[in-house]
Amino acid sequence: MAAASSCAELAGRNKPDNTAFTQQRLPAWQPLLSAGTALPLFFCAGLACLALGLGLHFSSATIQRFAGPVCLYYQLSNYYQNHRRYGVSRDDRQLSGDASGLSSPATECSPFRTDPQGLPIAPCGAIANSLFNDTFTLYHLANGTFHPVPLDNRGISWWTDSNIKFSNPELVNGSLEAAFKGTAKPLNWPQAAYMLDTGNPNNTGFINEDFIVWMRTAALPTFRKLYRRVREGNFSSGLPQGTYCLDITYNYPVLSFQGTKKVIFSTVSWMGGKNPFLGIVYLVFGSACILTGFVMLAVHIKFQKQNQMDVE
Amino acid sequence: MIKTAHIGVGISGQEGIQAVLASDYSFSQFKFLQRLLLVHGRWSYLRMCKFLCYFFYKNFAFTMVHFWFGFFCGFSAQTVYDQYFITLYNIVYTSLPVLAMGVFDQDVTEQRSMEYPKLYEPGQLNLLFNKREFFICIAQGIYTSVLLFFIPYGVFADAAQLADYQSFAVTVATSLVIVVSVQIGLDTGFWTAINHFFIWGSLAVYFAILFAMHSDGLFQMFPNQFRFVGNAQNTLAQPTVWLTITLTTVVCIMPVVAFRFLKLDLKPELSDTVRYTQLVRKKQRAQHRCMRRVGRAGSRRSGYAFSHQEGFGELIMSGKNMRLSSLALSSFAARSSSSWIETLRKKKGGDSNASSPSGGADKPLKG
Repeated sequence: MAAASSCAELAGRNKPDNTAFTQQRLPAWQPLLSAGTALPLFFCAGLACLALGLGLHFSSATIQRFAGPVCLYYQLSNYYQNHRRYGVSRDDRQLSGDASGLSSPATECSPFRTDPQGLPIAPCGAIANSLFNDTFTLYHLANGTFHPVPLDNRGISWWTDSNIKFSNPELVNGSLEAAFKGTAKPLNWPQAAYMLDTGNPNNTGFINEDFIVWMRTAALPTFRKLYRRVREGNFSSGLPQGTYCLDITYNYPVLSFQGTKKVIFSTVSWMGGKNPFLGIVYLVFGSACILTGFVMLAVHIKFQKQNQMDVE
Repeated sequence: MIKTAHIGVGISGQEGIQAVLASDYSFSQFKFLQRLLLVHGRWSYLRMCKFLCYFFYKNFAFTMVHFWFGFFCGFSAQTVYDQYFITLYNIVYTSLPVLAMGVFDQDVTEQRSMEYPKLYEPGQLNLLFNKREFFICIAQGIYTSVLLFFIPYGVFADAAQLADYQSFAVTVATSLVIVVSVQIGLDTGFWTAINHFFIWGSLAVYFAILFAMHSDGLFQMFPNQFRFVGNAQNTLAQPTVWLTITLTTVVCIMPVVAFRFLKLDLKPELSDTVRYTQLVRKKQRAQHRCMRRVGRAGSRRSGYAFSHQEGFGELIMSGKNMRLSSLALSSFAARSSSSWIETLRKKKGGDSNASSPSGGADKPLKG
C-alpha cells in the first residue's frame, strides 16, 4: 500500500500544469483566407479606392484659380534643406527664449555658432543663417494706376511653432534689443533678429513668422514655403481678373548652386492646394484591385471546376 | 549519441538520469516521442520560420526607406524618421506582436498533428524557410519600402501646406507602423486573446508615445531632444496625410493577400487542407448538435475512438443518412464521393503509409 501511494505521489510530482495557457489550448480565432473573404475584400477595396480617387481628382481639378483667399508662395529648387548636417545646425533651446541659449549656443550650430569676434550668434546655425530674404510686393492695375494689394503676413506659420517652439528671450527694461545684448547677428543677415519687422512687436526677434516658416525645414530639394496671404480689403474673396505687377527685391543668391526661385499663387482647399498625385494613384490602384479581383474570381471558378472534375 | 544528434532526447527512468542530463529534451516514456516530434517540433519549426520571415521583412521595410531618401537628401545620411522612433520601433512598436506569434501560433490542432504525420514533411524538407523564402521576404520588404517612401514623396512634392521634413517623417513613420501591424495580422494564423492585445496594444502605444513626444511639456523640459513639438497634432489633423497612409497600407497589403489567396486556392499545403476540413467538420458538428437535440438519450459513444477502422466520419460526410443544408458542406460532400482520405492521397501522390484517422500509434517510429 505504502509503495503504491508513494508511486502515485512520485507520478504526480513532475506533472506539468494542465491549464489552457501552458498546454497551448487557448481559445483562438483561426482565420482562413477563403474565396468568400478575399474576393469581396478586393472588390470593396477597389470600389472604395476608385470612389476616393474620383473624389480627390475632381476636387483637385476644380480648384478655382484665385477664388477665395489666395496664398503667395516662394519655391526654391535644388536646395537641400533636408541635408543632415544642415538640418541639425540649429539650437532649439536658444530659439525657445532660454537665456542660457543666448550666451552659449549649442555646438551643433558651428561653424555658425560664434562670430569672428567670439560673440555668440543669435539665432545660431546654418538654417537661420540662410534665411530667405527676397521680398515681394503685388500691384493691381485698376483705373490706369497700380494699386498695392495688401499682403497679410499673420498666421503663415504653425500655431505651435510661433507660440511654443519659438519665443523671444525675456525683455530687458521692455526692450528686445537689450535682451540680445552680448550676441551677434548671423553672418549673412543684413540686420539683427530684433530688427526684423520692427513695426510689429509680435513679429520681431525669434517669433518673426517668416523666420519661423524658414526654420521649418523642407522634406525635399524642391519645396515651397508660404510667404503671404491675400485676404484683406477688396481681395478677400480672391484676385479678380486683370493685370498685376509683382515687384521682386532680389537679395537671395541661388545661381551658385544651380538653384531656381519661383513665385506661386495658389488657393487652398481641404487637400492643401492642387494635388493631383493622390487622386491619380487612388484611381489607378482602385482599377488594378478590381481587375485583380476579377482575375482571381476567374482563376478560382476555373480551378473549382477542375477540382470537381478531378474527383469525379 | 545524444550529444552528437541535432536534437538529443533522453528517457528518464529506472536506469537513472544520465541520459536526461545529456539531452535537449527528456521524458519518461518512449511514446511521448511522437508528440514531441509531430506536435511540438512541428509547431516550433513553423513558428520559427514565420518569425524569421516577418522579422527580416519588417526591418527591410524600415531601413530601405533611408536608402531611397538618400537620393533626395544629397546622400547626407539624413534619417527619414525621428530619432526616438528609430529607437523605439524594434523595441516597443513591433516586438510584442511577433513575439506572440512566435509563441502561440498553431497551424493545425494537436489532435490533427498526431493524426496526419505527413504534416511533418515540410520540416524535413526545409520548405518553410530556405533561400527562396528568404529572398521573397526581402523582396517584400524592399517593395514595401519603395511604396512607403515614394507615395508620401509624390504627395509632398506637390503639396504646399505639407512640405516640411517633420510632417514627412510623421507620415512615413505612421504608415510604416500601420503597414507592418497589418502584415503581422495577416501572418498570425492563430489569434489568441494575447495576440489581439499585443497587436492592437502596439498600435495604441505608438500613437500614445507619438503624441507624448510631440507635446509641449516634453519640449519645454528638453528643447533640443524633442524637436518635433506640435507635429503630431498638426500633421495628423490633415486629411491628406490620412489618405496617404491609407493608400500606402492598401497598396502594400493587397498584393500579399492576392498571392496568399491564389497559393491557397491553387496549391494548398496539407496543413491548409486539414485546417479547411476541420472548419467544415466544426460547422457540421454544430449543425449535427442542433439537429440531434430532440434525439435520443443514452450513450453517445460511437465506438469510434476504440476502433482501428475509419469510423463514421466519412459516412456522415457523404450525406447518405442526413441532409446537409449548407452549400459549403454539400459541395464538399459532393466532392468526396469516395473516401476523402483517398482523395487526399491521390492529390498529394502520397506514399503507402499515408495517415489513417486512428492515429499513427502503431507505426514504427524512427529512433
